[in-house]
Amino acid sequence: MPDLLSTRLKHLIITTLKLEGVQPEDIPDDEPLIGSPRFGLDSIDALELVLAIEKEFGVKIGSSEESRQALASVSALVAYLRSRTPGA
Amino acid sequence: MSAPAEQLPVGIEACDCLTPLGDATATCDGLLAGRRALVLTPVLGRDGGDLVPLALLGPMDETLTPRWLPELHGLAGKIPAGAWGTTRFPVIVTSSNFGVGSLYAFVRDHDVRHLTHGTPFATVEMLRGEFNWGEQITIFSHACITAHLGLAHAARLLHAGLADRVLVFSFDFVSPFVAGGFHSLKILNGLMPAPYALRVHGSIGLGDGAAFAVLSREAGPARIAAHAFHNEMFHFTGNQPDGAGFTTCAASIAGAAQGRRVWVKGHGTGTLEAGRIEAEVLSHQFPGAPLTGWKGSLGHTLGSCGLVELAIALAALRRGKIPGTVGGAAPSFSDTVALAPFAAKDFDGAILTSNAFGGAHAAMLLTHD
Repeated sequence: MPDLLSTRLKHLIITTLKLEGVQPEDIPDDEPLIGSPRFGLDSIDALELVLAIEKEFGVKIGSSEESRQALASVSALVAYLRSRTPGA
Repeated sequence: MSAPAEQLPVGIEACDCLTPLGDATATCDGLLAGRRALVLTPVLGRDGGDLVPLALLGPMDETLTPRWLPELHGLAGKIPAGAWGTTRFPVIVTSSNFGVGSLYAFVRDHDVRHLTHGTPFATVEMLRGEFNWGEQITIFSHACITAHLGLAHAARLLHAGLADRVLVFSFDFVSPFVAGGFHSLKILNGLMPAPYALRVHGSIGLGDGAAFAVLSREAGPARIAAHAFHNEMFHFTGNQPDGAGFTTCAASIAGAAQGRRVWVKGHGTGTLEAGRIEAEVLSHQFPGAPLTGWKGSLGHTLGSCGLVELAIALAALRRGKIPGTVGGAAPSFSDTVALAPFAAKDFDGAILTSNAFGGAHAAMLLTHD
């Protein structure tokens, strides 16, 4: 059964970055988000995504290194949010 | 492979700057004493936001007489007299911000009067009127290597016989618009910058800065002997991971500096990846040359940093002592990073570098008697 937080994040990624024709199940949990040949997200996408995540989950990502770590993959993002928002 | 540096030597007739620590001499003295102009300040000024390191000449708000104008008047009063803005005495204005904060203020306040000094052309037209310059003004804006381009263009004009003296004038004042942009990238955050320091999180500071230089073909005691540029065009905000972009520019200026004993004033904003590549490349191209950077105190003055830091370098030469990397800390990315001031007498040249978004690199060779 898919992780609810993971699915919610995939929806957020798709809507924030306007990934047309992409479904949540098309985004593997462990695939790198930034620099992936499949999704080709760049630093501007990362910026938009970080802002969307901060707004949606009420967290503050402190530095570009922290942001890069959090956005390593959907799994990394799930782990990051769970560590910052225990109820997530 | 590096193209040779452009060797069009020009004399520096006059050069000064303005930072929150004062003019070039006062700023140099502040750096020598290890002073930090950066203060944790709300990123959006009166609108609040997270605290980030900013070095400001006054409250960061967009007033209807723009806050930079009175400050620039003070600086312009130090420019040697001349028929500036006429054919033989052209002016080059360099900035990456101009009055962009006023455009943000217009969106926020819906007051059209902000638009009179918002765009580059409106800003320069305002300066032209305030300082009684003529119409021979060229504007350069290319992110954080902007001032280098203005200085190089001045050298080209002088060597082509198209001008007798050239005034290069640069200013960048921080606005909530610009601070907010860097903050959203997370490179302007709650940490003070520590240029070239090997640590877990990187951070930059931003600072107000303005400077001018009057250049001529006459050989003065201090000269800009060569310029090098390279644009790797790899990514908006990232560099080629192998450092090839940095290497191309550094190798080019190293060729012009052959046989000289130089110290290096790097870009050193405090970001980790670029800081590491920069320090490694510069220490490789200039073995044993001390590497220093001043943005850990003054913040990054963006498009003006090349000229602001040139003025400080000249003041340091007059003092006989070069400021170290204020805010830096061991361990550094290279053992050539100078954390403490060092004597100028052991050197007969300096390499001053800047880097910019888009993978733009610039370097100049400063020589002196």
